[in-house]
Amino acid sequence: MFDFAFNSFHEAIYMNGHGIYVWTVVAIVMICLIYFFMRYNLKIKKFKKKFNESD
Amino acid sequence: MIKKFIHQFASPKTYLFQVERAYKLILYFSIAVYIGSLIWGLLFTQEDFVQGNSYRIIYLHVPASFLSQSLYMSMAVASFVYLVWRVKLAAYLVISIAPIGAMTTFIALTSGSIWGIPTWGTWWQWDARITSTLILFIMYLGLISLHSSFSNYERADKLLSWLVIVGAINIPIIKKSVDWWSTLHQPASITLTNKPAIDPSMLYPLLGSIIGFFGIIISLVIISSKYQILLREKNKSWIKEYV
Repeated sequence: MFDFAFNSFHEAIYMNGHGIYVWTVVAIVMICLIYFFMRYNLKIKKFKKKFNESD
Repeated sequence: MIKKFIHQFASPKTYLFQVERAYKLILYFSIAVYIGSLIWGLLFTQEDFVQGNSYRIIYLHVPASFLSQSLYMSMAVASFVYLVWRVKLAAYLVISIAPIGAMTTFIALTSGSIWGIPTWGTWWQWDARITSTLILFIMYLGLISLHSSFSNYERADKLLSWLVIVGAINIPIIKKSVDWWSTLHQPASITLTNKPAIDPSMLYPLLGSIIGFFGIIISLVIISSKYQILLREKNKSWIKEYV
């Protein structure tokens, strides 16, 4: 169950021609998640800064 | 009694202080489970006999599809709570969840389209499942823009809650579309009533990726709702104590 499914790192990237689809989806998911976390953290930081300045 | 219970535990102040403690724990645990399950599924499971390696997109597509529908249902429940018991926190949650729901639906649509290229030979087909999911995405975007177009938050919350409840009709349609119509999209591989139509070596990392992604999305909802509360309750005295 935990055996590496490929013979080499290059093969894992290439995935018999399907790597382009699989890794593109991985990139899209990661970019979306990181963007949303950064967006909200930045918004909260900005709010706190503005709030403390106006106080 | 229910009203008293809800109002006692669903005040924005109580919620904000409570989730602050849970947030990091949920986030770190979920990231570990999600990344671990993705590595397991993408690199340590065997190639599918029919779809080859492209089937590995399942570990990203299924959690996003599952969450896109679940988030909408949670918005519908929160809308109901807001309309019936006038719980402000429920209204804050509805608008906090909407952009995250749109993001998960976007991931579900794009990953499905990319998966379609090697397996179906096309990236798009106007079949029932894909079209109803596109409608869900448009609904999320519509709800977000509608809410932001109001200057009166209370009116916006009320209208949004009604629309979310009416729009919930789309969720069973998405769910059952593969059974009701002849679609290109395959039927569900995992159901509550039947034995999973997927090998256990592929199923376990899939369950792990669903649990991990679910936790990450919960963390996102927490910070999104935190921002919404800060924005809407900024004139309350306790906000000073929090900030």
